[in-house]
Amino acid sequence: MSGEASARQVPVAASRRSPLVTRLDRSAGAVFILPAVLVILAFSIFPLLASLYVSMTRLSFSEGGIRLTYVGLGNYAKLLVGIDRTHFLGVTVPLTPLTAAVLVVIYAGFAFLLVRYLRSPVRTVSGFVGRLVTAIIAGALVWLVVDTVMTSGRPGTIVVTLIYVGVDVSAQYILALGLALLVVQRLPGRRFFRVVFLLPMMITPVGVAYLFRMLTDTSKGPLYPLWAHFGLTDVSWVTNPWGARLAVMIGDVWQWTPFIFIVLLASIESLPIELNEAAVVDGANRWQMFWAITFPQILPATSTVVLIRLIEAFKIVDLPNVLTNGGPGTATESLTLHAYTIWRALDIGGSAAVAYMLLIVVTFVGISYVNLFRRRVTAMA
Amino acid sequence: MSRYLARALVMAVGVGLLAACNASNSTSTGNFSGTTIRVVTFTGPQIAEPLQRRAPDFEKATGAKVQVITVPFSDLYQKILTDFSTKTNSYDAMVFDPQWMGDYVPPGYLEDLTNRVQNDSTLQWSDIAAFFRDFSATFKGHVYTIPLDGDFQMVYYRKDLLQKDGLQPPATWDDYISIAKHFQGKDLNGDGKNDYGSCWAMKRSAQSYWMYISVAAAYLQSQGTKQGAFFNTDNMQPLMNNAGAAAALDVYKQLSKLGPPDQLNNDVGDSRGLFVTGRCALSLDWGDIGTLAIDPAQSKVQDKVGAVILPGSKKVVDRATGQLVDCTATICPNAINGVNHAPFAAFGGWSGAINKGAPSKVKDAAFAFLSYMSAPAQSGVDVTIGKTGFNPYRTSHFTNLATWTSAGMSEAAAKDYLGAIQASLQSPNMVLDLRIPQTAFYQQTALDTALAQFLAGELSVNQTMAQITTQWNSKTDEIGRQAQLDAYKASLSVTK
Amino acid sequence: MVVSYALLVAWALVVLFPLYWLATTSLKTPLDVNSGPFYIPFRDFKPTLESWRYIFVDLADDTFRPYLNTVVVGLTSTAITLLLGSMAAYGLVRMKYRVRIGAIASFVVALAGAVAVVAAGGPWQLALLGGFAFFLLLLQTVARRFKRALGNDDIAFWMISQRMLPPVAVVIPIYVFFQQLALLDTWAALIIAYVASHLPIVVWLMRDYFQSVPLELEESAAIDGASRYRIFRSIVLPLAVPGLVATFLFVLVFAWNEYLIALFLTSANAQTLPLTVAAQNATRGPQWWYMSVLILIMIGPVIAMAIALERFIARGLLVGAVKG
Repeated sequence: MSGEASARQVPVAASRRSPLVTRLDRSAGAVFILPAVLVILAFSIFPLLASLYVSMTRLSFSEGGIRLTYVGLGNYAKLLVGIDRTHFLGVTVPLTPLTAAVLVVIYAGFAFLLVRYLRSPVRTVSGFVGRLVTAIIAGALVWLVVDTVMTSGRPGTIVVTLIYVGVDVSAQYILALGLALLVVQRLPGRRFFRVVFLLPMMITPVGVAYLFRMLTDTSKGPLYPLWAHFGLTDVSWVTNPWGARLAVMIGDVWQWTPFIFIVLLASIESLPIELNEAAVVDGANRWQMFWAITFPQILPATSTVVLIRLIEAFKIVDLPNVLTNGGPGTATESLTLHAYTIWRALDIGGSAAVAYMLLIVVTFVGISYVNLFRRRVTAMA
Repeated sequence: MSRYLARALVMAVGVGLLAACNASNSTSTGNFSGTTIRVVTFTGPQIAEPLQRRAPDFEKATGAKVQVITVPFSDLYQKILTDFSTKTNSYDAMVFDPQWMGDYVPPGYLEDLTNRVQNDSTLQWSDIAAFFRDFSATFKGHVYTIPLDGDFQMVYYRKDLLQKDGLQPPATWDDYISIAKHFQGKDLNGDGKNDYGSCWAMKRSAQSYWMYISVAAAYLQSQGTKQGAFFNTDNMQPLMNNAGAAAALDVYKQLSKLGPPDQLNNDVGDSRGLFVTGRCALSLDWGDIGTLAIDPAQSKVQDKVGAVILPGSKKVVDRATGQLVDCTATICPNAINGVNHAPFAAFGGWSGAINKGAPSKVKDAAFAFLSYMSAPAQSGVDVTIGKTGFNPYRTSHFTNLATWTSAGMSEAAAKDYLGAIQASLQSPNMVLDLRIPQTAFYQQTALDTALAQFLAGELSVNQTMAQITTQWNSKTDEIGRQAQLDAYKASLSVTK
Repeated sequence: MVVSYALLVAWALVVLFPLYWLATTSLKTPLDVNSGPFYIPFRDFKPTLESWRYIFVDLADDTFRPYLNTVVVGLTSTAITLLLGSMAAYGLVRMKYRVRIGAIASFVVALAGAVAVVAAGGPWQLALLGGFAFFLLLLQTVARRFKRALGNDDIAFWMISQRMLPPVAVVIPIYVFFQQLALLDTWAALIIAYVASHLPIVVWLMRDYFQSVPLELEESAAIDGASRYRIFRSIVLPLAVPGLVATFLFVLVFAWNEYLIALFLTSANAQTLPLTVAAQNATRGPQWWYMSVLILIMIGPVIAMAIALERFIARGLLVGAVKG
């Protein structure tokens, strides 16, 4: 993946400085980036390699202490085809006419995009191969999601995680964008709102999870009068699979909307207002101004914050853990919770294997996102 | 002789006598000044508070400083294990769950206390109830822990409600179900809201698997503790796939519908809270409800609570055929009125253990501290205070009603509560919790997940039993069937 | 306008109501919490300061020590991360890096060699030095043959990819890492761990802010003879203050609230507040009353900082900077 920096260089003034300063300046490139690179490198290599190795072992106790027995891809096989398959992937059933139709429509969409790329003037072999691989993997994941959610099958932890990420990040973005646009206006008390909207993000995630556990309690939680009013006191939404998932998603949206909100706010606030003023003079209304001027300019910030949120969202663990411990059954269990639960029972090999499956999925999503979306966005700006 | 020499001789003789005294009765009054004992347990106030409260007294008496380090409960096991296995040794002693001995003893992390406990006059080892002394604290015939707490499950009921409707406390699980059905949906505490027949902690990854074993044990074990309730002691086959386990699953499912609507998401904090605020007629719990119920800051049912030994069954499983057979004198030698009770010592009771890798002087000091905490004088008071989390486990705890009544229990309630505990403790058919290597997988990963899926309707009874059995067998084969069988038999002190 | 206001108020209520619930819960007895729900103190229930007293008086040392640790570790790690991260972000935006494939391959091969030495039983210090020497050797010889290189975007992607693996997979290796360095249960371990984990976020966020600083400003300064460092310090950073403040708040929040790594790297001395919050769920079930107090005191300083710094995330710092 060889990218080219979209940066222009700042020319180095030559004549009027001492040799030392010039030499320092020439090495500035390294000085700026090396500390960060070295810190990240030093700190990440050992854990990455160690956990990769652990994912191919099984832990046991022996007379001298702990023993890690090498088992090759055994832990991964357990997840994909072995006894943990229904836990990880889910229970898949033969396709029904409805699900087959949905899949056909989606695959047709992929095919259309691929063909469009083939016909475009900037096509390359590596670009096409990359897109084809992306389409295949995405197709497999889509099939898994459709076959376990829209049928009588049961979604496994990988599908539940994908649902969480998709719904949560979209909802957070839309909500945060709306709030940022509202707060940017000259309303009285906007500073108050700006601070208040930051609050949810500031609570420690474990605390937010317990907070929501309190709120969703149907017998002693504060929403009890609401349930009683609707005659729902004998129904518990956390013992219904989709109800429980909804509770987790609401908690996650509440907690992380501020993250996107503040980035978008800073971005909108730093836009030059001359363009807006010119547009007003030209007679554009607010909606047009937003779509044509504001939105394209905040796309780079958008793409960054969405990428960060995507990566973080895949690691969701505290909310499902505290709210329902992954229940009812395995309905709300995310991949990280899956890894965490079996890690606590000493299956650190299996846990590392789940973590690496998560890494593979997130890397796939990350690379696809960067190549297909972010590149275009930063090139435009 | 010069005066100087005489003085030196006197001192030498004195020191020699002192050393001889210490060596011969190894009591907890040796001088440990300058030593610091680092004890790790989970964040309190339960368990940690009494340790911290008594540490200054211990320091005054012996000079040893006690530093109590606390860690969140859900991660205590991992933290201790990581510390030991990487030889970091930041802890000298710990107060932990004796089930973990199955993982900590084989690699040699725990100090063998067999000789120390026999000779310690402070500890009074023989005062500790036989079950905790002979099973809970031992592994492969050696003593590794000092019990500080007696854990087993009992059924609690609202004496006032049952008496008013002329019902007897449940003796079998069928009785329990019918009482629960009787009260489900009625208003039990006069606040206008419908209340519940039975409140249990059925949440996943919490206490659900213990609750289930409390039900199943009565169908699975009748010949005494050594028979075991988890595996067949001949071939290590799981006992989770037979008519008894199926009957227990059926009871469990029925009970899940006779409680609050979110019972599947309630852990023990919720079920206790519901019971002591008067919203349930029945509950299943460790000893905590007894002491919580008398605390006016927590409870609305002071003096209305009764306790009874775990309900049993009139039929037990014949391990050869897997079918249920009626109780007879030979099949159920420990039956009471024809009902086989199998009180379940779930979790085992918080116990103190010592890190084998600690320096020798620190180990002596740690032993002195743990034995001080367990001694009748201290533990007799601590078990009456709900906040400590310590429940009775010594014969002396039951004989002195005064400590209980001065803590706030009425004499009748104290007799009832202690009577139920004693009946359980003295039963020869008490069930020892599982403590083989990787117990956590068997119980928390395999059994608990399957139960959660069963309650949520994802699996049927047969699928649940099959899934548990397959996963248990797969783990047993992974570790080595003979090794696990030996460990299981060792945990039950079965010597044949 | 009214609609905007209504929407803002609505979401403010959604945000504030759970916090209000936390506050009232911290004033309730366990009986009140379990019999709930009660909403208004004095009217629905009798408030008590018992939980507050327990946290601040009974547990005094066990509350203040984690508090101090959280403040020190949070602020220090955030400051360092911001410094290193913004420098790296500036480099990625204004300078052109080329990391040759050959160099990366040499690095991987040398690393594999070092790992093999350790696996075969050799001391890790020797493996490290030997590996480094081997790497340099390969770099000067074999690596020159390969011309393809990775650029700025690839470096940035590599950085953010470090955040993809869930902490549970790496927490034990990290523990062993710091144990070998004898840094367990110290501020230093937590600070280093947090700096390394949060650098990618700072780099990615600051990249966008630096990108939006007009290049002409920097060019004119360079022509005037300013060095790179001078430009960075005097021109770019001041203009990127809104972004710096926002990023500062984020990273502070991340470091302040982190749980799993803090759990493993600390023992008696360096514990941080998130551990005390999680620890309130013990064998009795969650102790809501104590937990509410702890959560509230945890967010206090962060809110204070957000209020103080919020005005820097404001419009107008770039307007008018470029004339003509």
